[in-house]
Amino acid sequence: MSETTGSEPTLRELSAELRERLARVRQGGSEAARTKHTDRGKLLPRDRVDGLLDPGSPFLEVAPLAAYGMYGKPGADADDHAVPAAGVIAGIGRVQGRNCLVVANDATVKGGTYYPISVKKHLRAQTIAAENNLPCIYLVDSGGAFLPMQDEVFPDKEHFGRIFFNQANMSARGIPQLAAVMGSCTAGGAYVPAMSDETVIVKEQGTIFLGGPPLVKAATGEVVSAEDLGGGDVHARKSGVVDHLADDDAHALRILRGIVDTLPAPVPSAASDVEEPLEAPETLYDVVPSSTRTPYDVREVIRRLVDGSRFQEFKQLYGETLVCAFARIHGHQVGIVANNGILFSESALKGAHFVELCNQRGIPLLFLQNITGFMVGREYENRGIARDGAKLVTAVACSVVPKLTVVIGGSFGAGNYGMCGRAYDPRFLWMWPNARISVMGGDQAANVLATVAGREDDDEFKRPIREQYEAQGSPYYASARLWDDGVIDPADTRRILGMALEITTAVPVADPSYGIFRM
Amino acid sequence: MITTVLVANRGEIARRVFRTCRDLGIRTVAVHTDVDADALHVRDADVAVHVTSYLDADAVLAAAKEAGADAIHPGYGFLSENAAFARAVTGAGLAWIGPTPEVIEQMGRKDAARDLALAAGVPVVPSYRLDEDPASFVYPVLVKAAAGGGGKGMRVVRSAAELPEGIASAKREAATAFGDDTILIEKYVERGRHIEVQVLGDTHGHVVHLGTRECSVQRRHQKVIEEAPAPALEDDLRERIHASAVALSASVGYVNAGTIEYLLDAATGDFYFLEMNTRLQVEHPVSELHAGVDLVLAQIAVAAGDPLPFDQAGLQFADHAIEARIYAEDAFGGFLPQAGTATVVSWPARARVDHALESGQVVSTSYDPMLGKVIVSGPDRESARRALVAALDDTAILGLTTNTGFLRQLAASAEFTEPGGIDTAWLDRNAVPTPDPAPARAIAARLWLDAHSEQTGPFAGDGFRMGAAPAPVLVEFADGSVTLTPARGSHAKWSSEQPVRMTSRVTAHGVELAHHGQRHVFLRPDASTDHAAVAGDGTLLAPMPGTVLDVRVAEGDAVTAGQVVGVVEAMKMELALKAPYDGVVTTVGAAAGQQVALGAVLFVIEENDG
Repeated sequence: MSETTGSEPTLRELSAELRERLARVRQGGSEAARTKHTDRGKLLPRDRVDGLLDPGSPFLEVAPLAAYGMYGKPGADADDHAVPAAGVIAGIGRVQGRNCLVVANDATVKGGTYYPISVKKHLRAQTIAAENNLPCIYLVDSGGAFLPMQDEVFPDKEHFGRIFFNQANMSARGIPQLAAVMGSCTAGGAYVPAMSDETVIVKEQGTIFLGGPPLVKAATGEVVSAEDLGGGDVHARKSGVVDHLADDDAHALRILRGIVDTLPAPVPSAASDVEEPLEAPETLYDVVPSSTRTPYDVREVIRRLVDGSRFQEFKQLYGETLVCAFARIHGHQVGIVANNGILFSESALKGAHFVELCNQRGIPLLFLQNITGFMVGREYENRGIARDGAKLVTAVACSVVPKLTVVIGGSFGAGNYGMCGRAYDPRFLWMWPNARISVMGGDQAANVLATVAGREDDDEFKRPIREQYEAQGSPYYASARLWDDGVIDPADTRRILGMALEITTAVPVADPSYGIFRM
Repeated sequence: MITTVLVANRGEIARRVFRTCRDLGIRTVAVHTDVDADALHVRDADVAVHVTSYLDADAVLAAAKEAGADAIHPGYGFLSENAAFARAVTGAGLAWIGPTPEVIEQMGRKDAARDLALAAGVPVVPSYRLDEDPASFVYPVLVKAAAGGGGKGMRVVRSAAELPEGIASAKREAATAFGDDTILIEKYVERGRHIEVQVLGDTHGHVVHLGTRECSVQRRHQKVIEEAPAPALEDDLRERIHASAVALSASVGYVNAGTIEYLLDAATGDFYFLEMNTRLQVEHPVSELHAGVDLVLAQIAVAAGDPLPFDQAGLQFADHAIEARIYAEDAFGGFLPQAGTATVVSWPARARVDHALESGQVVSTSYDPMLGKVIVSGPDRESARRALVAALDDTAILGLTTNTGFLRQLAASAEFTEPGGIDTAWLDRNAVPTPDPAPARAIAARLWLDAHSEQTGPFAGDGFRMGAAPAPVLVEFADGSVTLTPARGSHAKWSSEQPVRMTSRVTAHGVELAHHGQRHVFLRPDASTDHAAVAGDGTLLAPMPGTVLDVRVAEGDAVTAGQVVGVVEAMKMELALKAPYDGVVTTVGAAAGQQVALGAVLFVIEENDG
C-alpha cells in the first residue's frame, strides 16, 4: 500500500478484505484438526458457543483477529493465520436472556494451548466481564500453557495466573464464574473449573488434573489412564471438583443454560422502538475517502450511526475541528466526541467541557477517532496547547461514564490520548479496517529520525522506518496484539455500539471527580 | 302451542335445540348433572335443573314440571329412543318432540323393524335359516350372533364347505361373549356403503324425505364424517331409496323426524334396510344445509300438532354439505380416549360448528367423547370438501389431543376426494398416515423465537455476527431441531416463509400448537428435567453404614430405570436403592439383615445396549 500509487483501496474494499480474514479465522484450526475433533464426538468451539447462546442471539466477539500474523513467517497468508483467534474464542451473547461473557478454547488450534497473546485475550475478556458485571462461562478444552513460550505466558503479573486471580475476585464481587470441561484441562488450566462457582464436565471426554498421566508416570511411576486420573466420573462422584456430569457437549451446554437460569434475574434491557439512521449503514463506505489525506465531514459518519440521524451539537461554532454532540444509539443516550481535523486549543477545551457535561449527566461517551495529533508550532506551543490538551486528557482519564472508542481513521500521537485510546480504559475499543495507529506518521518519524541522525536527504535511511511504521500502524497489527477489541466492518458499527451501550450501561457509575486541570 | 322446551340432553345437541327455541321465542330448560353444572348448555338455557343422571326419566320429567316446560326434546342418545319415557311424557300432558312411543318400540326391535320393512316392500339383507341347504346360499355369507355387536361372533364364510366350521366357531364365540349362541346367517356385502334418508312426518298424515346422507366413513361402527346428499348414486337408485324410505315411514304412520339406514352394495347397487332411528341424528345438520330446512323447527311444529310447512315438491335440494365429528381421542395413538383441560379452543369462523367446548373446559371421560361437529357446505361436493379441509385447518384445540388432525388428513385424502370412495370398513382396513411433524415444528421454532428473542434493538435474535453473515439460528426441540436462516439486516425475518397465523401456546419450555388440525407439543430440551441418574455407573453403593433391610432382585434379573432393587436402613431412615437405568443385575453384594459399611458395593447393574 504505497502512498505514491494514488490508488489506495476504498473502505468498501478494505471491509471486504476484513470479512475474508474473519471468515478464515472463524474456521479455526486445520481441516485435519477439526475432523479429528469432531470424530471424537466433540462440537467445534464456535458450535459450542452457538449452542450455549440463546437461539438467534447475536455475539459481540472480542478480538477475533488476535494473534493474526504474530506466530508465523511474516507475509505468508497461512502463517498469518497460524493461531486463529489466538486459539480462544471470546465474546458476549445472550444466555437465557442474560448477557454473558463466553470464553471457549479452540482445541483445533495447537491443542487449545495458551500463547502469550491467548493469555492477554483471555484476561481482556475477563476485564470486560469485570467492568460490566457479566457472568463468565468458560468452555474449557485446552492443553494449558504453550510450553515453548512459557516465559511469556507463565510468570508475570498479566500472565496465566491472573486468570484465576480474576476468577476469584469476580466471584467475590458476585459475578458468576461457570465452566464446562469439554476436553483437556491440565495443570494450571485445572484451576479454571476448580475456581468456578459451578462446573460441568463431559463424561469420557473432559479431564481435569494437575499432572497428566505422562507426568504422573515420570514423577511417581504410577501408570493411570486419563479417565481414571481425572475423568468426568472421578470428578463428579469422587473428587467433587465438578458439580455436574454431562453425557456430551450438547448436554453440557444445556446444563450450563440451566445454571444460568438459576442466577438472579437480569436487569431488563430498555428495548424500545428506535429510528434507524436515514442512510443505510453500508453508505458509510462511500462517506470515507480512500485517501487518508482527503478531508471529509465526520458528521456524515455520525449521521449514519445515530438514531434517526439526529444529533444535538454542543459548541458547533467553537473549536470546529472537534464535533461534540448528544445523540441516541439504539435508544441509548450518548455523547459523541469526533475528530473533524487537527486538535487546537479551542477544540481541546470544548472536548474537555463536553466530557465533563456527559459525566455530570451520566451519559456514556463515544469517541470517533480520526486524529493526526495536536497542532504543533511556536504559536500554538507558546499559547499553551499542551495545557489545553492536558485538560482534555484529564477529563477523559477521570471520566466515570462508560467510554467507547472507534478508530475510524488515524490515531496518532497525543491525539490518541485525548480521544480515549486504549490507555484510557474505554470499555471497548474498535478499529475500522482503514484505521492507522502509531505514535506519529511514518513519514514524520522517518524525517524526525533522519534529522536527528543528520541524514535528512537519505531515502535509504528513511525507507525502512517508513515501512516499519506502515506495518505496525495497520489495524491488523494492532488487533493481533489486543491493542483493540477487534477490527470491525464500518457497516456493523451502529449495531456493535448498540450492543456495547446495552452492556456497559447496565452497571451503575460513580460520581465524577477529576485531577487538577491545568488552567 | 309450545312455550317452554326442556331438552333432556347435554352438550352440543342441547345447545342446538336451544338455538332454534330462541329463534322461535320459546323458553328453554336445561337439565344437568354435577359435572355439567357449569357446562355451556346450562349457560345457554333460561332455566337449569339438576338431575342425578341424564338417564333418570323420573327426574327429568320432574324437572320439566318444576320448570314449567310444556314439551320435551330428547336429543339423541340417553332417553331419546326410550318408548316408556316418551309415553310418560305424553302421559304427563307434555308434548314429546319425537315419534310416537309405539313406533319407537316397533323400530327398536330389529326383528319387528325388519318385518315392517318387508311389509312395506323395502329390501332387507337376504338371510338364510340354519336348516336350509347351504349349497343354495349365495356366498359370501355372514355368520353372526343374534345377540351380537362389536364384531364379536362374526364370521365371513365364502363357500358351503367352510360353513360348518364358521358356524361352530361363531357359536363358541357368541356363547362366550353373550351367553347366547343363537346364530343368524345373512348375505355378506363385501363393500358396503352406509346410506340413510332423513324423513319427516306430521300428525296430518304427511311424510316427506329430505334426501340422502352418506355415513360410510366410520370406524368400528362409529361415524366419523357424514355428508348430504350421498354422492355417486344414479338418479334412479337415489329415487328408489327415497321412495322406499317414505313408503316405510308412511306405513307405520311415522310422525316427527326419523332416519332410515340402508346398506348399499357398492358392487351391485342393491340396497338393504338396516334400521330406523326414531330421533334426530347427530349428523342432521348436513341434511339441514342440503335441504335448507331447520329440522328442530320442523320437529317442534309437528310436536305442536301443526302440519309440515312444506310438501315434497316444496323442498329444494341445493348445497352439498359435509360434517366432521371432533372427538377427544388420539387417532394416531390407537384411538385412545383423551381427557384433560382444553386450554385453548378455537373453532373455525367459516363453518357451522355445533359444539359445547370452550377454552378452559375440562373434558372428562364421563360422557360421549364427541366435542363438536364442524359442518361445511358448498355448491358441489368438491368445494364442500375443500371447505372442510380449510375449516379443520382453522380448528385448534390445545391442552388435549383430538382427532381433528386425523379428520383433516382424511378429508384431504384421495380416497375421500373420490365420491363414494370410502366404504364402511375402509377405516378398519386402512391407517390414515400420521402427519409429518416437521412443518409444525418449523412453525413452532419461529413462534418460540418470536416470543423468546428480542425483535428489535442491538440484541435482536437475528443471529448477528460481526463482519459476517448472520449465524443460522438453531432452535432445538426434544424431538428434533429447526434451523432458521435469518436475513441480514432485517430483524426477525426468517427464510421460512410459512405464515405464522395460528393458535398456539408458547412458553419458555416449549410450544403447543395445532397445525392442520393436529395438536403438536414441542418441548425445548432442558437439563433441569433430566433427573435420571447419569448413565455410566451402575454400581449402587451403601450410602451410609447400616443394615440391608430388603434385597428385591437376584443376579441376572432385568430391571427398569427407577426400579427399587434394595432397601438399606441407616440413621433411622429407610433408603431405597434404585436402578439408574434399564439393565441387568450382574452383582448382588448384600443379603437382607446384613450390616454394611459405607461405600460397600450392594448392587451392580449393567446397562442395556441402546
